[in-house]
Amino acid sequence: MYPILLPILFPILAGLCLLVYRKDLERKLLTGITGSCLVITGALVISVLALAKKSLILFYLTETLPIYFQIDEISVIFSVLTVVVFVCAGFFAFAYMKHEQKEKRYYGFYLIAFGVLNGLCFAGNLITFYLFFELLTLSSFPLVLHTGTREAIMAGLKYLFYSLCGAYASLYGIYFLYRHCDTLTFTAGGILQASPASPDGRFLLLVAFLMILGFGVKAGMFPMHAWLPTAHPAAPAPASAALSAVIVKAGVLALIRVIYYIFGADFLRGSWVQTAWLTLALVTVFMGSMLAYREPVLKKRLAYSTVSQLSYILFGLAVMDQDAFMGGLLHVLAHGFIKGTLFLIAGAIIFTTGKTRVDELHGIGKEMPLTMWCYTIVSLGLIGIPPTGGFVSKWYLAIGGLAGDIGIFRYIGPAVLLISALLTAGYLLPLTIRGFFPGADYDYNALQKREPARLMTIPILFMTILSVLIGLFPNIITDYLTKFVSSLL
Amino acid sequence: MDFVCNFPFFSILISLFSGTICSILPEKAAKAVNRIVIAAVGVMSGILLLYLLGTGESFVYWMGHFPAPWGNEIRAGVLEAGMALFFCIIMYLSMAGGAHKLFDEVEESKHNLYYILINLLLSSLLALVYTNDMFTAYVFVEINTISACGLIMIRQVGRTIEAAVRYMIMSLLGSGLFLFGLCIMYDLTGHLLMSNIKESVALLIQNGEYQIPLIVSVTLMCIGLCIKSALFPFHAWLPDAYGYSTVSSAAILSSLVSKGYIFLLIKIIYRVIGFDIFNSTRIIDVLFVFGLMGMIFGSLSAIKENDIRRMIAYSSVAQIGYIYMGFGMGTQAGMVASVFHILSHAATKSLLFIAAIGLTEVSGGSRKFIDLTGAGYRNKWAGVAFTAGSLSMVGVPLFSGFISKLLFAQAAVQVEGKMLATLIVLGISTVLNAIYFMKTVIRIYATTGDTSYPCITFKDMKVHAIVLIFFILLNIILGVNSQPIVNMIEQGLAMFA
Amino acid sequence: MGPNLWINYGEAVAAILFCIGFTNLLLQTNLIKKIIGLNIMDSAIYLFLAEKGYIAGRTAPIVTDGVTNVEAYINPIPSGLVLTGIVVSVSVSALMLSLTIRLYIRYHSLDLDEIAAQLKKEGR
Repeated sequence: MYPILLPILFPILAGLCLLVYRKDLERKLLTGITGSCLVITGALVISVLALAKKSLILFYLTETLPIYFQIDEISVIFSVLTVVVFVCAGFFAFAYMKHEQKEKRYYGFYLIAFGVLNGLCFAGNLITFYLFFELLTLSSFPLVLHTGTREAIMAGLKYLFYSLCGAYASLYGIYFLYRHCDTLTFTAGGILQASPASPDGRFLLLVAFLMILGFGVKAGMFPMHAWLPTAHPAAPAPASAALSAVIVKAGVLALIRVIYYIFGADFLRGSWVQTAWLTLALVTVFMGSMLAYREPVLKKRLAYSTVSQLSYILFGLAVMDQDAFMGGLLHVLAHGFIKGTLFLIAGAIIFTTGKTRVDELHGIGKEMPLTMWCYTIVSLGLIGIPPTGGFVSKWYLAIGGLAGDIGIFRYIGPAVLLISALLTAGYLLPLTIRGFFPGADYDYNALQKREPARLMTIPILFMTILSVLIGLFPNIITDYLTKFVSSLL
Repeated sequence: MDFVCNFPFFSILISLFSGTICSILPEKAAKAVNRIVIAAVGVMSGILLLYLLGTGESFVYWMGHFPAPWGNEIRAGVLEAGMALFFCIIMYLSMAGGAHKLFDEVEESKHNLYYILINLLLSSLLALVYTNDMFTAYVFVEINTISACGLIMIRQVGRTIEAAVRYMIMSLLGSGLFLFGLCIMYDLTGHLLMSNIKESVALLIQNGEYQIPLIVSVTLMCIGLCIKSALFPFHAWLPDAYGYSTVSSAAILSSLVSKGYIFLLIKIIYRVIGFDIFNSTRIIDVLFVFGLMGMIFGSLSAIKENDIRRMIAYSSVAQIGYIYMGFGMGTQAGMVASVFHILSHAATKSLLFIAAIGLTEVSGGSRKFIDLTGAGYRNKWAGVAFTAGSLSMVGVPLFSGFISKLLFAQAAVQVEGKMLATLIVLGISTVLNAIYFMKTVIRIYATTGDTSYPCITFKDMKVHAIVLIFFILLNIILGVNSQPIVNMIEQGLAMFA
Repeated sequence: MGPNLWINYGEAVAAILFCIGFTNLLLQTNLIKKIIGLNIMDSAIYLFLAEKGYIAGRTAPIVTDGVTNVEAYINPIPSGLVLTGIVVSVSVSALMLSLTIRLYIRYHSLDLDEIAAQLKKEGR
C-alpha cells in the first residue's frame, strides 16, 4: 500500500471521526483516544521517515499536475519538530482544557491539523503543498476561535483572512510558474530555466516577490504580521503553542520550498527581490522585538516575540548563504521548541493563577519554581546564551550574514540581530527577575506552592531539555544537513 | 445513420409530451413519470455521448427529412451530449433534494403543474442545446422563460409573484432584443440554419459588406442573452427569484436555466458568427468588462446580504460574471474555462441551495443568519454539504471550484492585454467569496446557537442526505478528475467549428 | 445613410417602434402599460419581418389560380416566422396578464414600485 500516506490520513480520519461522532464522550475516554492517536501518529511519522519509500505519486489532478509526496531532509526537520510539539502540546491540553467547553471539537481539529502538517512536510510539488497549506489554515482556525467569545471569533476571522489573502497571492505565483515550468516538482537548486535578466526573468522576479509576500503572511513577516498578536492570546494556550511553534513555520517551509526548490537561489541572488526580502525581514526582527518590549500582556508579548524570531529565520533564508541557511534551519528547531515551551508555560501560569499581565506576576517563581526555572532556561536560549539551542543558530546566522554576498546588509544584518537579542533579554527576563526576586514588599506568608499538574509540567520539562540538547549537540544536526545544504546552494 | 442518432430528437420529444401527459395523471404517477423521463433522457444522452466519443464526429439530424436550407435541423456533438447529460443529472438531484420542501410550500393541487413545468423546462433546455436552427432556438428560449416563470411563482406568496413579474419583464426585454437581432441576421443572410448563416457571414466579412448591420445584429443577440442569463447590470430580478421560490426551482433556475442561455450564446459564437469574427469585434471587450464588474459587485452584494438564500443568489451573479469574463478573453482556453465553470458552478450552486434548505429547516424556517447559528450541529449532513460547497466556491484544491479558477488563470496568462485585470479581479473576487462563505460556515458551526430547535438525523432526511452526498461527489469528481472533462470540452468545441 | 433610410423607411419605422415598445416595457411602472409596451415591441418586429418578406408587385404565397411560378409570390418564410412569433407573443402576454391579476388581487395596485414598497412593509 502507500505507507507514506499513513501519518497524513490516520490523524485526519481520527479527527474526523471524533468530530462526526454524535454523542459526547466521557472525558477520560476522550483524552485516552486522543492521546493514543497522537502517539500512534508520532510513531507513524518516525517510522515512515526511517523506513518507507521516499516518494509517491498519488494521482494526477490535471495532465501535468500530480498529487505527489516526497521526503527529503527538510521534511525530516519539520516533521520531527511537528511531532514533538504536537504530542507535547496535546498532552498539556489534557490538563489545560479541563474547564473548556467542547473539548471534543478541539481535539478533533487538533488531530486534523496534525495530519495536515505531516502532509505539508511530505508534499513533493507546489500544488500538493498549496493544497495542504490551505487545509492547514482551515483546520487550525477552529483552534484559534475555540473559546467562542466575540474576541476569539474576530481573532479567528482575522487569522483566516490574512492567511487566505496570503495563500491567494501565492496561488497567483503558482499560476505564473505553471506557465514557465514543465513541472512544479520540488527539485534541489530550482527548476527555472530563464535567466533573471531576460524579460521573462524580470517578470518572474516580480512573481517571486509576490510569493514571498504571500507565504510571508503565514510566517508573520512585516507588513502582514498583524494577525499573530491577535490570534495567539485568543487561542487556548496549547493551541497557541502549536500555532507559534509549528503552524507559522509552515510559512517558513513554504518559502524554503519556493525559493530554494522552485526558483533556485542563483536566480534570486543579487536581485532587488533579495534586497527587499532582507529589508523586510530585518525590519520585522527589530519591530517585533520593540513591540514585544512594550507589551504588558504575557501571551501577546510572546506572540510579538514570535514575529521577531521568525524573521531571524527568514533573514537566514534571504541571505542565501550556506551558513545562514543552516542557521535558519537550526533556528526553526530551536525556536520551535523554545516558543512552544514558553507558550505552554504561559498557559500553565494562566491556568493556575488566572493572571495574564507580566506586572501582576510578582513572586511567581516562588510559587511555581519548576515551571519558572524552565522559563528561565528557555528564555536564555531564545536570547542566545550558550549552551542552549538559540546560541548555535544565532551564531550560524551571524556568520552567514557576515560572509554572505549581500552588500551593506553584511553589516546591518548582524547588528540588528544583536540589538534584537538585547531587546529579547529585555522583554523575557523581567518575568524571571520579578518572579524570583519579588522585592521587599512581597508577603512571604501568603506564599503557597502551586506547581501545576504533572500533565503540564512533564511536556514543559521535556521540551526544555530538548532545547538545551540542541545547543549541546548541534553537530548531530549540522553533520546531517551539511551535505544537503551544499547541494541546495 | 445509426439508431443512436435519433436520441436527441427522442429526448426532446419525450420530455415535451410527458409534460402534457402529466397534466391528466394523478400526482404520484406524475411524479414518477417526471423522474423516469429525466432519468431516461439522462441515459440516452449518456449513450449518445459514448457514441460520439467513439466516432469522434458530430452529426446533423434532418427533421422530417427536408435537407438544408429548407428543413429544420438538430445537431449533436460531444459538448451537446455532455451538457444534456449533465443537465439531467443536476435536474434529477435537485428535484429529489427539494421534493419534501415542495410538499410543504406548494398547494396540493398545483403539484401536477410543477411536474409539467419541469418537463417543459427540460425539453426546452434540450432543444436549446441541440437545435441547429435560430428561430427554433428563439421559440424554445420563450418556452424556457415561461416555464421558468412558472417555477418561480408556483409557490404563491407575494414575493415570488413579484419576482416572477420582474423576471418576466427582464426576460421579455432580452428575448425582444434577441429576436430583433435574429431578424436582422436573417435579413442579411437569408438563412435561419446556423451552418448556412455562418457561411454567409464569412462571405459578408470577406466582401466587406453590411458591416454595421452585422455588428448591430450580433450585439443585439448578445445583449439579449446576457440579460436573460443575469449578467451583472441586468441581475436585479435574480435575488428575489432565486431567494423566495421553492428550493428545487431555485437550484434548477440558478444552475440550469441561465446556463441554457449561456450555452446558446456559445453556440451562436461558434456556429453562427464564427469564433474568430466574434473575437475581432469590440463585443468581447464589453462582455469582459461586465463580467469583471459582475464578479466584484455580485460578491459585494452577497456580503451585505443578511439572508442565506439571497446571499447564494447574489453569488450566482458573481459566478456568471466569471463565465462571461472567460468569453471576453477571446481565446480558446478562456472558452474552455468558461464551459468548465458552467459545469462546476451548476454542481456547486445547486448543492448550496439544497444544503441551505436543510439548514433553514432546523432553524424554524428562518433564513436570517442570526437564526442559523449552530445549524450545522442540528443538521449535520446539510452542514457538511454546505461547507463542502463553500470550499468549492472559495477554490480549495480537490473541489471543482479550484480547477475552474486554475483554468481561468491559465487562460488569462495567455492574453497579454487582459491578464493583469483578470488576475487582480479574480483575486479580489476569490477573497470576497471567502469572506461571505466562510462567514456563513462559521455561523452555522458557532456554539452559541438556539437549542430549542429540533435536531435532524440521517433517518429523518434520507433522500435529502443522499442527494447531498451525490452532489458532493459530483463536485469532487469534477475537481479531482478534471482532465478527461477538459479534454471532452476541447473536443466538443473543436466539433463546433 | 440618409437615402438608405429613406428607401428602407419600413424598417426604420419598425426600429423606432421597437425602441418605443422597449422603453415602455423597461421604464413604465404600471404593469398594464408595460404589457402594452411588450406588444408594441413584438409588433414592431413582425412589421420588420413582414416588410423584409414583401416583394413589390407579388401576392401572398397561397396557390389559388393554379399559378405555380415562383416569381408570382413573395417569400413565405418571413410570414411563417411572423405567425410563430405571434403565437409566442400571445402566450407571453397572457402569462403576464395573469400575473398582473394575481398581484392586483393581493395588493390592489398595478404599480410595480408600490407593490415592492408594500412587500417591503410585509417584511418577508
